[in-house]
Amino acid sequence: MKEVDVLVIGGGIAGIESALNLANTGLQVLIVEKDLSIGGRMIHLSKVFPTLDCAACITTPKVSEAARHPNITILTNSRVMHVSQDENKLFLARVEQKPRYVISALCTGCQDCESACPVVVNDEYQYDLVGRKVAFIPFSIASPRIAAIDIDHCILCGACEKACGPGAIDFTQEPEQVMITAKSIIMATGFKLFDPNNIARYGGGRFKNVVTSMQMERQLVPTRPFNTVLRPGDGKMPDRIAYVLCAGSRDATVGNPICSQICCMYSIKQAQLILGALPMADVTVYFLHVRAFGKGFEEFYQQAKMMDVSFIKGKVGRIREQENGDLLIRYEDIASGHVKEASHDLVVLSVGILPTSGTEQIFEPEQPELDPFRFFR
Amino acid sequence: MDKRIGVYICQCGSNISDWVDVEKVREVIREENGVVLARVTMFACADSAQKEIVADIQQEPLDAIVVASCSPKLHLYTFRSVAERGGLNPFNYVQVNIREQDSWAHSDQPTQATQKAIRLIRAGIAKVQQAEPLTPVMIPVDNTIAIHGAGVAGMRAALELADLGTTVYLIEKEHFVGGRVAQWGKMSVTNQTGEEIVTEMYRQVIQRPTIHLFTGARILSATGSIGKFTLKLKLIPRYLNPPCDAIGLKKAMEACPIVVDDEFNFNLTKRKAIFHNFKSEFPALPVIDMNACTRCGECLQFCTQIDLDQQEKIIDLQVGSILLTTGFNPYEPKPGEFGYREIPSVITLQQFKRLLELSKGEFRFGGKKINRVAFIYCVGSREVEGEHKYCARYCCTSAIHAALQLREEFHVPYIYHLTRGIRTYGKQEILYEQSSVAGDVYFQFVEDDPPNVEASGDHVKITIHDLLTANQEVSVTVDLLVLVTGMVPRENDELEQILKVPLGRDRFYNEVHPKLRPVETVLDGVFIAGCCQGPRNIHESVSSSLAAVSKIYSLLNKGEIQLEPTLAIVNPDTCEWCGKCVEGCPFDAIEKAETDKGFVARVIESNCKGCGMCTIYCPTEAIDIKGFTNQGIRSMIDAMAGD
Repeated sequence: MKEVDVLVIGGGIAGIESALNLANTGLQVLIVEKDLSIGGRMIHLSKVFPTLDCAACITTPKVSEAARHPNITILTNSRVMHVSQDENKLFLARVEQKPRYVISALCTGCQDCESACPVVVNDEYQYDLVGRKVAFIPFSIASPRIAAIDIDHCILCGACEKACGPGAIDFTQEPEQVMITAKSIIMATGFKLFDPNNIARYGGGRFKNVVTSMQMERQLVPTRPFNTVLRPGDGKMPDRIAYVLCAGSRDATVGNPICSQICCMYSIKQAQLILGALPMADVTVYFLHVRAFGKGFEEFYQQAKMMDVSFIKGKVGRIREQENGDLLIRYEDIASGHVKEASHDLVVLSVGILPTSGTEQIFEPEQPELDPFRFFR
Repeated sequence: MDKRIGVYICQCGSNISDWVDVEKVREVIREENGVVLARVTMFACADSAQKEIVADIQQEPLDAIVVASCSPKLHLYTFRSVAERGGLNPFNYVQVNIREQDSWAHSDQPTQATQKAIRLIRAGIAKVQQAEPLTPVMIPVDNTIAIHGAGVAGMRAALELADLGTTVYLIEKEHFVGGRVAQWGKMSVTNQTGEEIVTEMYRQVIQRPTIHLFTGARILSATGSIGKFTLKLKLIPRYLNPPCDAIGLKKAMEACPIVVDDEFNFNLTKRKAIFHNFKSEFPALPVIDMNACTRCGECLQFCTQIDLDQQEKIIDLQVGSILLTTGFNPYEPKPGEFGYREIPSVITLQQFKRLLELSKGEFRFGGKKINRVAFIYCVGSREVEGEHKYCARYCCTSAIHAALQLREEFHVPYIYHLTRGIRTYGKQEILYEQSSVAGDVYFQFVEDDPPNVEASGDHVKITIHDLLTANQEVSVTVDLLVLVTGMVPRENDELEQILKVPLGRDRFYNEVHPKLRPVETVLDGVFIAGCCQGPRNIHESVSSSLAAVSKIYSLLNKGEIQLEPTLAIVNPDTCEWCGKCVEGCPFDAIEKAETDKGFVARVIESNCKGCGMCTIYCPTEAIDIKGFTNQGIRSMIDAMAGD
């Protein structure tokens, strides 16, 4: 049984920031993170709007401060399975830590296991743009920077075990149950990205050169897989790039009637970064309303216009793939009142954000309230 | 003896290495005197890289480290802590900025950028060679706070901090609390009224003995720094002595012959010189507006508690920290802007919301029943070339919510919205959906082609080239035109001058970093929350106020804080006491002291900011800044300029 003052569920920027503030006042905090590394979504971003700070540069100090804070304990690769309350309102949580199949204390992060591993699967940390090994370090700035074995895809060939100098590979590890008591719980479980497959007419998941905004984001980060922007279908450097806003937001037909608040701005940011990476490219943003409402946002939007990003007001009806991999966008051009078509090399769907489903169900018997959109209320 | 120095050259992903040839820099720097190790890293700030540096310090071993990366504003403390974990004094670390001051600035000249990086790092090495181990200065912190502005943001912070054990001085410029929210009627989402929200918060504020509320108060001066600020306040009296007899007061207010515009109702109505804003207004006691009062004495006949001779008071407060929650002003359109002040039935959104609140049964304005209302959006906001370039963020939702209320409560059938693109972000989108379904009509225009507004008899005629119907010219004639006016910074010049609060380009108070340090200012111990920082809705204001509470609590609850040891220090052997340093010091941090050898200057550490102004004035170089000595700076210049 581990006793803490505050249990923080989710080790993204919100969870880390709250943990650090609480720990600095002397409270004992436990962060439970389901992923192999803390840092959440933010550590995977390129730059942030509207300041264009490098996201990794401003996240990693927090990550590393949390990782070594004397009042913070972090469990990665772990999930809170169940939370109840005793008669004194103390929370009792059961946390399951999945095995990494690597002895953390022995792993030096040298990546020899990674070189030796013969199996390649999609790299979820690069949003499936490239592959990764099954014995792997999740990403270069992961915390902890310790290898893990993706047992679902492992063929148990033992190559990693032979390659590992310190003998850190251990296939006999079992899931561990940790019991926690906490006076308070912070839910910082983040969001889920809208799955583009749910709008068939945009071809997400079917057309190779239709990517999500997160896939574009990964092409723009310093640790980008191709070291430039390429379209995945044929590796061609795209000249005509389109952004389709409100993909999965403000759309009752896909079950998400609300505005996701971030897509306009991240698309405007990416458009600016693309013009840095591919100065000759044409970037077109198809929008309904541009929601540049925060501090400095409107000015950032105007800056994109001055950089010659085209903004076309109109709903995109359908996207078709052409033989050469180019994409034909059919849209309502509101300014002229006509339905038009335009050809693009690469289409980015500015996908919205949805609540992480089912998180409330770990609480028993009483569950925290959700709003009509299934976010915590 | 020369220190054994390790130099780390950060690629910052590619932010540095795209323009600076980091490998070349490493080859040159490796050969410098004292450098025993030079490495290139992808992200020096990453946890794994930090661990490597710690291991190097211990294994090599190193006496000092230089990290050439981004601005020390970002990572000074990160690497000081790395040095400390390796067993070094944190001041045996120097950060060299080769990103903001090099790679980003010279992205068109990579060869020269590489040369500059080498020279900057050489200067860093020279500095670290000279570095002395320093120990931070600890100073006590008063667990007290001054919160300026008793609107919802200020009151929420006051309540939370009081419950965490802090003594709160809640300072309000007006005679009543509640700020702008008190003026609003029904709010979006919760449908509570502003009056209800404010009433409930005030009730809680007065229940807490550790919150001291000052109304009619202004800050005259502020001295001191984090941990111990002294504020001088001017308190303007109410000219009434409680307790007052309610009937007598009512009669006194009726008797008052002075009638002025009621700014609480945005001049839609009039009030007397003795007034209160609304019935449950807090404090419940009315106030006499001495700018309007002629001291005629009519009121004195009915209320013996009125005392026109009450005097302004000046008091001193000592606080550990300051929170500014001074709010915003609504944008006031220029005369003639969309017919404002020229056509009687053109009003602002704020007036319209007050009008809704004051209306019962029928919706009337200027004596006539209103059937058709139009809203023009972005008035005083999103001016690409103008003064207010920003989006005021709350107005789309606020206007749509008010229009829904107009339809539901007052059954006004014809409502037109002339927008520049609706920004009901997040869950507020539902209101836009509701409004469209309810039958409100939306048009859209661009900034360069705004709607034309003209009087048409009793009505207002608005003509627009509507973007939503391929730029067709459309005219609507309405009974009332509402200008959806945004938020502008309050005019707090006195406060800005006294506290020197930094302003952003939008002239709202500026935070250190909009994402990661959203409620701190560059002034240590001075925090900001709510709309003084930029437009936001109530929910966002209160969130920022709670964020400030957590930051303030972690500062105040420790009882003492650590100050940078880079403060001025006097060498008593060379000081000849001429007093010039005292004249040069902007912070009153130097005093005259007597020693056995006569008078010398002495530094008051809690006031010293380490700015270095004193060192310029000293004719004998007897005063220095620890960590930035004259000698150290000379050796840096030599290293940077040398071949």
